[in-house]
Amino acid sequence: MAEPWERMIAAVKDGDVRALAKLITYVENREAGWKDAMKVVYPLAGTSTVFGITGSPGAGKSTLTNAIARRLCDQGFSIGIIAVDPSSPFSGGALLGDRIRMRDISVDSRIFIRSMATRGVLGGLCQAARDVARILDASGKDVVIIETVGVGQDEIEVVRASEFVMLICFPGQGDSIQAIKAGTMEIADLFVVNKADREGADEMVEEIEAMLTLSGQEGVQTPQVMKTSSVTKEGLDDLVTFLRAFMQTKKRRDRERGLVREEILSLMEHEVSRMVRERLTQDGRLEHAIERILAQEVDPYTAVEEMLQKFSIPTPGL
Amino acid sequence: MNQERKIRVLIAKPGLDGHERGAHVVAFGLRDEGFEVIYTGLRQTPGQIVNAAIQEDVQVIGLSILSGAHLSLTQKVMDGLKTQHANDILVIVGGVIPEGDIAALKGMGVAAVFTAGTPIKDIAAYIRTYVPNCSA
Amino acid sequence: MGNDKKKIEVALQEWEEKVLYPRVKRFNLQESPTRFYTPLSIKHGNFLEKVGFPGQYPFTAGNQPFDFWQAYASEAARMGYRPDWGGGQVGKYGGFGTAADYRDYLKRMHSMGRKGGPNIAFDLPTQCGYDSDSPYAEGEVGRVGVAIDSFRDFQIIYEAYTGELDIDKVPSNFTINAPAAVIIAMYAALAKQRGIPLDKLRGTPQNDILKEFIARGTYIFPPRPSMRLFRDTCVFCTQYLRALNINSIGGYHMREAGASRIQDLAFSLANGIAYIQAGLEGGLAIDSFAPKFTFNAFGGSMEIYKEIALQRAARRMWARILKERFGAKDARSMLIRQPITAHIGCSSTTLQRPLNNLVRAVIGGMAAGMSGGIPGAFPPFDEPLGLGHSQEAVQLQLDATRIMIYETKVADVCDPWAGSYFMESLTDATEEEALAELEKIEKMGGAVAAIENGFMHRAVAKSAYERQKQIESKQEFVVGVNSFTGPNEIEVMINRVVEDTYDPELLRMAEERQKANLAQLKRERNDQAVKESLQTLKMSAQDEKENLMPSICACVEALATLQEICDVLREVFGEAQPVKL
Repeated sequence: MAEPWERMIAAVKDGDVRALAKLITYVENREAGWKDAMKVVYPLAGTSTVFGITGSPGAGKSTLTNAIARRLCDQGFSIGIIAVDPSSPFSGGALLGDRIRMRDISVDSRIFIRSMATRGVLGGLCQAARDVARILDASGKDVVIIETVGVGQDEIEVVRASEFVMLICFPGQGDSIQAIKAGTMEIADLFVVNKADREGADEMVEEIEAMLTLSGQEGVQTPQVMKTSSVTKEGLDDLVTFLRAFMQTKKRRDRERGLVREEILSLMEHEVSRMVRERLTQDGRLEHAIERILAQEVDPYTAVEEMLQKFSIPTPGL
Repeated sequence: MNQERKIRVLIAKPGLDGHERGAHVVAFGLRDEGFEVIYTGLRQTPGQIVNAAIQEDVQVIGLSILSGAHLSLTQKVMDGLKTQHANDILVIVGGVIPEGDIAALKGMGVAAVFTAGTPIKDIAAYIRTYVPNCSA
Repeated sequence: MGNDKKKIEVALQEWEEKVLYPRVKRFNLQESPTRFYTPLSIKHGNFLEKVGFPGQYPFTAGNQPFDFWQAYASEAARMGYRPDWGGGQVGKYGGFGTAADYRDYLKRMHSMGRKGGPNIAFDLPTQCGYDSDSPYAEGEVGRVGVAIDSFRDFQIIYEAYTGELDIDKVPSNFTINAPAAVIIAMYAALAKQRGIPLDKLRGTPQNDILKEFIARGTYIFPPRPSMRLFRDTCVFCTQYLRALNINSIGGYHMREAGASRIQDLAFSLANGIAYIQAGLEGGLAIDSFAPKFTFNAFGGSMEIYKEIALQRAARRMWARILKERFGAKDARSMLIRQPITAHIGCSSTTLQRPLNNLVRAVIGGMAAGMSGGIPGAFPPFDEPLGLGHSQEAVQLQLDATRIMIYETKVADVCDPWAGSYFMESLTDATEEEALAELEKIEKMGGAVAAIENGFMHRAVAKSAYERQKQIESKQEFVVGVNSFTGPNEIEVMINRVVEDTYDPELLRMAEERQKANLAQLKRERNDQAVKESLQTLKMSAQDEKENLMPSICACVEALATLQEICDVLREVFGEAQPVKL
């Protein structure tokens, strides 16, 4: 009897959209056998280009995603979009509203849009987004776009799942460059000053270019800075041309290595951390340690050392 | 029980009706009840709603209609779901729905009609009862 | 009456210690459930500065010492006057089906003595700039209002208004926003056709696009081009349709969508400021057009003290803004001209035990009478039941209003709360909070910027949710809804006769008939003329400086359809994008 995911993958190969959606859910929810499913999916993937779009709220990421997808689709490419929004830390629920800005591409059969919540697990989303991007890739999508909120660390993590990262900013954004979060400047492959119809757009471009030149490394080309506006349509065609050029050449061989390393480590970390939690909770060692610490019989550092010994992992030189 | 499994709900405004208060309140409310809510915004065609529901793999579609066009719009959504073999998705309707039309909507396959003022907890409880195998 | 503040301060403390706190403690409360206000509550300002006289800056006490209905109150009572008789006013808000359906309905009303001018509700496709044969219009044609696809439809409606009811004698209201320019053009074209001078046309187009983005959702073009269109209507009306009101700015819709009282006030004023700026940008002198601005109404609630304070604060704020910021000299520029003042708002009515809504409406009416308006018991008690107001509900509403006017004489005193320590401090606080909110919006760049970045829309959504949470958690009680719903309560109801307003059969076939009308129109009209007029419109639209009204008028007269006109503008302006929550 075929596993549920085996039937789904077969249906996906047949072009069944619902099966694709259900497979995504299956993997996102980490249902039984999801890893086996991904082992089957993995070799089917590899032909898509995965773009990441990040930037602060208000930058116009969804609108830009919509514009890019529209153009690429008109030029003959099929698109998968993953739109990420934060889960509520209180209820665990989420309000996923990126589709609001993507109304005009939401009936095109060649464009598949999926909203994902961060679900509050550190590092968890990154893997899930990578898996979903891979599934969309395997389903035959030429391009996958991951769009994030740009608040908190999860979003920077997610973007590490992309081959090419666009950082969207806009004139009047807080203290402009200062507002661009630490970490995002380093990972962006392209800077887009959106809402370029507003005052201060050119100044912002100059600021970013100066910043990039300053922090640039020898022999490494500084990322480009482009201007776009969904009001005047300025720069949108150029942006898409630029992205298509990347799709052609995929210069970032150096990136590929790093991405695979990241993925292995992230999967390992997740597994190990899960294993540890499970084992410690199962045989009551964790509870026991808590009791002892509260009774002031032992400090947390020692307690951990002792438990680590039982894992047969040599204690690092603490 | 899988801890990561969430109930996903699509809240949609079909047609040209621009009154969003009910949809907003339900969207925020269900989020705070632990659901993942995809809100489509205004001016959705039945085709867009069906598409979104399928792509997002939601268990529930909530239609909010205050323009009086609820019968024709709901019918189109139900037809679209049927065509796509997706009529296992629970469809609930809210807004300004005259008593007399509730039976007609149910006849189309709508599971429940929640008129204005229904507490969010009741809607959430209803969904939890009728969506299989989920704890949210 | 001199007040020694020091003495009162001491006495207040004594009172709190000797009378208030012991009582609070005795009942095991954290704080008293009541408040009391003294001269200490009024922090600054004097009577002339803050209150003044009714009809004089700053208009806190009212727009005028008395309204027209008060001048003729006795006559009205003696002749048993009913507002739906017209008397030079607009009739009941309505509209359905095709233009012919609505015209026939209006004629029937006139034959029954209800001779009010057309107060037209348009269907959603019309409000959103679509023709009845558009795929977007399916299922919606003629439903929430009448379908207008072209000037021909407009003319058909007005076949009910000729002779003693011609358009130079009765006003018209148009609840139209995004394509208001087109409807205003039709009104002007009709006058031209009938040989009526344009400056005789009276009435009010709603023409308040900004609140659509925030709370009502029937927008077409993005905010900035929409303001350009507004500017053009403003200039056109100021030049030619001098007796027509230019707009009807509404906090009402925002409040019904969930905005808080302060947001309602602040956002309305912010929008008003944006419209004033548009008029000035069009080259007009402030006093030439500001007197033709009106306000639809602010929203309402059951907390009538606060609603009265809002009315007073609003009048004072708008007057100050017009005078100090825009340099208005004419008193009429500074007025908040609105058909009603304080009220409870339709969202305060309940589906449960609906007769209670009459009680609620009366409370609103008292608030209106005490805040410079007619004490109207609004809305009729069966409002939430849908399917139209019954004759019983309308009768009760009328009688309640009459009782408040003639028996209670509530409106016989202007601004009765003036000078109340409570009301003056509440008015000040309302003004302060609204100014702070307004300041926020101005810092963003004004109403248009606060709409483009979604701030106002999101704020309203959040407030709506907050209110819901308060009710569901029983922090706020609504009688018969989340409280007093037990088995000992009786669901009081009376038999209602809902007047057959709209023939359901007509409504059902309206879409089909209108599509046939549209097809016929397209066969009969001069295609070349239409094409040319649309082409001219396109070119004019591309030049930001040009006033679009002349070209829109030409399109309208050539029988271009509403959608054809809007599609040209969509091409040039783009379409508005919804904002994220």
